[in-house]
Amino acid sequence: MLENIALIKEVHEHLATPKAQDIAREMLQKISQEHIALYRVSACSATEIFYIQFIRALMMKEEHIMIVTPFSLIDNLRNINVIIENIKILAHKKHILIVDMLSNEIHYKGTACNTVK
Amino acid sequence: MVIIVIKYLHISLQTFHLRALLRQTNYNEFINSKGESKVILQLIESIGASAIRSVYSVGEALKFTSLCLIHMVNPRSYNPAMRMVLVKQIYFTAVTIIPLFLMMAFLFGSVIIGAVIALATEYSLQESIGSIIITFVVNEFAPFFTALLISLRSGTAVNTEIAVMNVNEELNTLREYKINLINYLFLPRIISGIISVTSLSILFALIMLSSGYIFTLFYMNMDFHTYKQILISAIEVSDIFVLLFKSVAFGFVIMLIPIYSGLKTANSYTAIPISVLNGMVKLFIALFFIEVLSLILQLL
Repeated sequence: MLENIALIKEVHEHLATPKAQDIAREMLQKISQEHIALYRVSACSATEIFYIQFIRALMMKEEHIMIVTPFSLIDNLRNINVIIENIKILAHKKHILIVDMLSNEIHYKGTACNTVK
Repeated sequence: MVIIVIKYLHISLQTFHLRALLRQTNYNEFINSKGESKVILQLIESIGASAIRSVYSVGEALKFTSLCLIHMVNPRSYNPAMRMVLVKQIYFTAVTIIPLFLMMAFLFGSVIIGAVIALATEYSLQESIGSIIITFVVNEFAPFFTALLISLRSGTAVNTEIAVMNVNEELNTLREYKINLINYLFLPRIISGIISVTSLSILFALIMLSSGYIFTLFYMNMDFHTYKQILISAIEVSDIFVLLFKSVAFGFVIMLIPIYSGLKTANSYTAIPISVLNGMVKLFIALFFIEVLSLILQLL
């Protein structure tokens, strides 16, 4: 997974592999997921894969990140707040937009984020 | 006959043009009266369509090849991620195969050189035994055998890998992240193919020549110094050049064709074995084409 995240910095910023992997490891440590650093995709849960995808998106220079239907990305996700808390830890400098269907509205009740219908 | 050829060429470009042309000729009326015009038209259409498809696919393949070559000479293509993939590819293509490769080179070397020496002795060609061995081993057998082994082992693996990535939409994900597929995926594999086939061909030739000594020792009672001198006096710069040229060409196509075939896989898992099958057939045709081309060039 570490290589998967580090790849973006290596390609776009020509950052050396150890440096790019250090940044990736640091990101995983922030959300207490450093144990998956050396896992392969098949060994990761849906939530872990989601975090990897999100951190990989953070590695890009783009300011805005859009997450489309997180409940379809993560199986058995009951509480979105856990995810949102980790997103806030990781991406405090970026604009994150979560797009979901009205049928999932109930899952977002009580979140501290702005909700637009 | 002329009319048919003109019509055929015409329909290859624009099918509806032929229909208009046919209407203007008595030939069409004759055919219509026989009730065969539809069948002939369909036949000509299918020939024209397959001709267009063939020309288009050859053009696409050439475009892909030239793109890969342009990226290969561009220093900006060599980013850290690409270099990491390149090292891994060389390891998997050239290093992990070495034990099997050494064993095969040794076995083939002693047996085949033995057969060559026995034949040369039978036809009283002992004087030119050195040049026979060098031509056979260095120019022909070592690069071709290495190419066959690497294409069976790594060519199939690369074709399957790219096809699976294509079907799983992994290639699209990489595109979404603005990662150049040629730089990150294809170039390391092509360069590793060139490096691996060239280095393994040289290794194969060296081991084959060394193991050939075993046969000469027992069959001709030749000492090592004489055997070495025969080979050194027989080898020329052109032999080394042929070995390098063929190895580079083989290495290039061994990776390029499976990659291209994997990229052209239809979007289903059942298309993966078909892609590998097609890729391997095209690869073997390309290998034989290079072999024949090098033989013709050597004869000139």
